[in-house]
Amino acid sequence: MNKSSPLYILIFIVAISALFGFGVSMVHYSTEDMLARNLTLHRNRTIARAFDLSVEGKSSEAYQQAVATAIRDTVNIINNREWELFYRTDGRDEVGFIFTGMGFWDRITGILVVSSDLQEIRDIKFLSHKETPGLGARIEEKSFTDQFENLPIDWDAPLAEHIIIGPGDTPNTVDAITGATQTSMALMNMLNEELNAFRKAQVK
Amino acid sequence: MADTPKTVFTNGTWKENPIYRQVLGICSALAVTNLLANTLFMCAGVIFTLALSSLTISLLRNLIPKRIRMIVQVLIIASYVMMVDITIRAVAPDIHRFIGPYVGLIITNCIIMGRAEAFAGQNKPFISLLDGIASGMGYSFVLIAIALVREPLGFGTILGLELPAKELWWHQWTIMVMPPGAFFMLAIITWIARCISAEKSKT
Repeated sequence: MNKSSPLYILIFIVAISALFGFGVSMVHYSTEDMLARNLTLHRNRTIARAFDLSVEGKSSEAYQQAVATAIRDTVNIINNREWELFYRTDGRDEVGFIFTGMGFWDRITGILVVSSDLQEIRDIKFLSHKETPGLGARIEEKSFTDQFENLPIDWDAPLAEHIIIGPGDTPNTVDAITGATQTSMALMNMLNEELNAFRKAQVK
Repeated sequence: MADTPKTVFTNGTWKENPIYRQVLGICSALAVTNLLANTLFMCAGVIFTLALSSLTISLLRNLIPKRIRMIVQVLIIASYVMMVDITIRAVAPDIHRFIGPYVGLIITNCIIMGRAEAFAGQNKPFISLLDGIASGMGYSFVLIAIALVREPLGFGTILGLELPAKELWWHQWTIMVMPPGAFFMLAIITWIARCISAEKSKT
């Protein structure tokens, strides 16, 4: 058959797409269990770090055990929204919830731990984001997230300024990430809206 | 004169090194070299993709219609990159979280398309496979050299292991953690490599 004929080209493209599609599918299928395990490990590790839990070892089971022992996980539907909440079982006065919102490129999801009276943020950890590597993706770095430890929430300030990421000298301010202004602003808006929604839902 | 395995290997790793001679694949070279572990996974991914895409394109070179050859090359390269991406996500999820975006970008890495178009499309499978491995190794040597400077100076570790007696002598070079550190290191390595090449050609 002539290699330039439309029929040859069509058959060739279909055949090669099917062959390589099958190859990729096989690799995906053979790693499916590992990917699911990794996802669980990442989630438990993020919860453990957000609540500063002590974990014996670094295995998936160790994180699972630490979270199961110290955290009670519930899902409440309030105001048509599903809130995934984390309460400490040791009586410490803090509560965590899953926050989500648009970052610069895509949705950012994480866990925000706040004091039970909602007066301060205790910690923030991220579950997923697609911010620019080396710039916006630095929201995950310890130097950035450490600033949120015991950060007061100013409920008297306007909605957009309950907490501030950027310039300012008020106690509710954290430094933005250099070179990632859009991500910093998106995160600030998202956190303020989520904190406000959480307060309105009166989920404590 | 036909390419011999020796010339193909020397060209890929040294004389026509993709990074410091052809200045290709710079994006990932700058991005993933602040930690050696990330660099090693990226290098393994690039070598795997380069070697197998060159081999596959060479095997199919007499069957691929000329008019759609680049589409077919991208399809083949993208498939191998997806396999690499899934494998790293399964085996090393923490590393994947950092280098994941760059693994996806291997598809558009000029080194791979360049070798497919310039070499594998015209040569036999074995020599094309070797060319892919050699180019991947040439890329890897430079990245590893950069990472071996950036990680100790930036984090005080090598492969995550603390440097000996670090607290007595080590002081963090923050710039090595950041992208500009990679620019400086790449420029220095390119300078050294080109000086050595110039010396050799004089003699």
